[in-house]
Amino acid sequence: MDSFDGNPSRRQILKTAVAIGGASALSACLNNGGSEPIPSGDPAAKPPRQHAWREYIRHDKYDNSQLPKHQILLYVNFDEEGRPSPETRSTLEESLTVLDRGYEWSNEGLLHTIAYSASYFERFDQSLPEQVTLPQPRALSPFESPTFDTQDAVLHLASDRADVVLEAEQALRGERDTANGESVEAQLTDVATIDSRRTGFVGAGLPAERQDAEGIPDSNPVPEDSPLFMGFEAGFKGNQATEDYVTIEEGPFSGGTTMALSNLRQRLDDWYEEQSFDERVMEMFSPGHAENDLVEGIGSNLEDNSGIDEFVDNIEADAETHGRVGHAQKAARANRDAEGNVKLLRRHFESTDDIGSDQSVASLHFPSLQRRVSDFEEVRRAMNGTDLTQVTPAIRQRVNNGILEYIFVRRRGYFLIPPRRHRSVPMPQPESSS
Amino acid sequence: MDRRRFLQTASAFTVSAAVAGCLGSAGSDDEPSNSQTQSSGVPSIVENRPDGIYIPSHIEGMKMSGTAEQGDYAFGLMYSYAHRFWNVNGDSTTLTEIEDDDAIHLMANVWDPETGTVLPDTGLSVEIYQDDSLVSQETIYPMLSQPMGFHYGANFGLSGDGAYTVRLNVGAMTTRRTGSFQDRFSEPTTADIPFEYSEQERNEISFERFDTEAGTNGAVDPREMEMMPDSRAPSESTLPGRVIGTGMSNDAQFVVTVIESPPAGIDGDGQYIAVSSRTRYNQMVIPAMGIEGTLLRGDETVYDGEFTRTLDPELNYHYGAVVDSVESGDELTLQVTTQPQTARHEGYETAFGGLMGGMNDVTLAVE
Repeated sequence: MDSFDGNPSRRQILKTAVAIGGASALSACLNNGGSEPIPSGDPAAKPPRQHAWREYIRHDKYDNSQLPKHQILLYVNFDEEGRPSPETRSTLEESLTVLDRGYEWSNEGLLHTIAYSASYFERFDQSLPEQVTLPQPRALSPFESPTFDTQDAVLHLASDRADVVLEAEQALRGERDTANGESVEAQLTDVATIDSRRTGFVGAGLPAERQDAEGIPDSNPVPEDSPLFMGFEAGFKGNQATEDYVTIEEGPFSGGTTMALSNLRQRLDDWYEEQSFDERVMEMFSPGHAENDLVEGIGSNLEDNSGIDEFVDNIEADAETHGRVGHAQKAARANRDAEGNVKLLRRHFESTDDIGSDQSVASLHFPSLQRRVSDFEEVRRAMNGTDLTQVTPAIRQRVNNGILEYIFVRRRGYFLIPPRRHRSVPMPQPESSS
Repeated sequence: MDRRRFLQTASAFTVSAAVAGCLGSAGSDDEPSNSQTQSSGVPSIVENRPDGIYIPSHIEGMKMSGTAEQGDYAFGLMYSYAHRFWNVNGDSTTLTEIEDDDAIHLMANVWDPETGTVLPDTGLSVEIYQDDSLVSQETIYPMLSQPMGFHYGANFGLSGDGAYTVRLNVGAMTTRRTGSFQDRFSEPTTADIPFEYSEQERNEISFERFDTEAGTNGAVDPREMEMMPDSRAPSESTLPGRVIGTGMSNDAQFVVTVIESPPAGIDGDGQYIAVSSRTRYNQMVIPAMGIEGTLLRGDETVYDGEFTRTLDPELNYHYGAVVDSVESGDELTLQVTTQPQTARHEGYETAFGGLMGGMNDVTLAVE
């Protein structure tokens, strides 16, 4: 358990420690006392899928996944040109194995994945196998022009403990000799350069503590129990794909998945100050959710399913009648397969990163896992609601159109999360003889 | 009140507003007697407003910050005192008051640099930076005001006097486009415009009260702007086709024209009915309405359905439908199903649906 929560001074340190990073942030976390020992890991006990998280994290009483509270994303470029050498591969593998040894694969220890971009695979003459489609990222709405993350790879660190993600990062950077007592034999930064460091948090209380960030009105509107800045729970079990569903089943990357990873700036002045609670419910879920009083507070009463599937078919009628449509309602239109299975596994978490500046600005890191990147693209396009702007002028490009008025996509990257056996600078056809 | 007489008494307004920025059509050193800055306070909203366009209690001038051209779009950026305005969402029209930390009302105009056509009905968001620091970012609303006509605007707080950069992000248009506009305005674009702000300079912006005229039917004159086009709809005589009639619905004027075949980009055989909607008095385009219409020929229904929001280089913004034909003796009835989804500056909040609701059907007998 996170033993920091009861102690105001530790909470204050934690509020900025992960975002700031570095040795002093880590020692501030460690010196403030009260930490339980960190469970150490066994490399042989790690699941074969890097994205196998659900079994190893907390769940609420409705069995919804509770993502690790503290997260770090390290976007890296490998120093070598062209095909990575065996030395690069072994150094990277050893640096990741340090983390495997140091930390249990759990929310109390550390979950970590490394994922590779299409630009990385351009180092090779071979192309990816047919089971993997990994395009370059692109704009997906008629009103966004994001910067694309085309770095070689992204490392994702996640734990309920701020000291764990900070220490793991320090180990990868070679700034510590040990990781939870395990000797750091190799470091990521021997073979790669960190291009961008991003951080975030998720879970009840954490957004409320950080709502002094730019983008959130001064009235402190974020509910204390909300896991996210916008004031509602998200990622109900019944509205998420399973890990099995998003896993590539065949070919050399079987056991892997793809990840679309975006960063969105949030501007919540009008969300909280111009809109009533019912209007927020309409725009986040659907007008039917507001009409039927389905959402109380942050929406915990929805238990394990937002019930959105019941409100998908009447979206055009909702647009005509209410002059508003819901975010979840729009997205769900494209987020089900023919059998009704959910296609995306969303693992978004909040941030005060303003990529490119030191300012503290509310934002959201949005990793979405799916078997095919095209699944993500279809859902994102459905979320644009462009078709609904034709139904009635009350639905505008961004206004009354779900939550588009308040979110601004700044970054997007597409990555392959290989299975653990190929996690270190994989070739495009890792199990072929060439 | 007779509009012409009003314009005479208020003509000083146009001049003093004009000299406030670089867009004046004329300059004058003579301050009109009713001109002042805002320091004396904002007059309250006129009591007993008519259900239609009326002369507001006051009107503010504005300053031009700059213009930019990027891709298919030209942008103009202006500012004034923070205003109260009315936001429109579906059937509801609600007052947005000035908030304590609002420093300015920021206005942006977006137009086609080739034809000068103002582009309504797209999405615009604004980022304000001071050095590299984000001061604000908002999706801003389409608005109608008497002096400016259609524009995008919002009130913003700032962090004091100084140099800012305003980044305007326009979305691709999703409105149907025809003729040479078919393959244009289809990409989002961003333009940066430098913005120098000082509170003192803002306070020099003219501020006019209309104590006796306030609340009477009519509108203050559109502001002449040299550096950018306004959103005036084509006059009856310049509209393509055969104008078959005009009608008025809660001070939204509909000028209806018939052209022999649909503009390029619209499928269908037959004639094309275009409804050009504009504000009474100032003739500024009224976009973002839902309009349905029925064309009757005796007992026969020739057409019954939507008039689609469309932007055409000749017809400008209009609502159009393809029908088999329009003949003498036909009766066309237009029904507004959704009031214009644009915020309203003072003087427009009761018109076009607005606070008091109700846009009557317009019926034309074709001669």
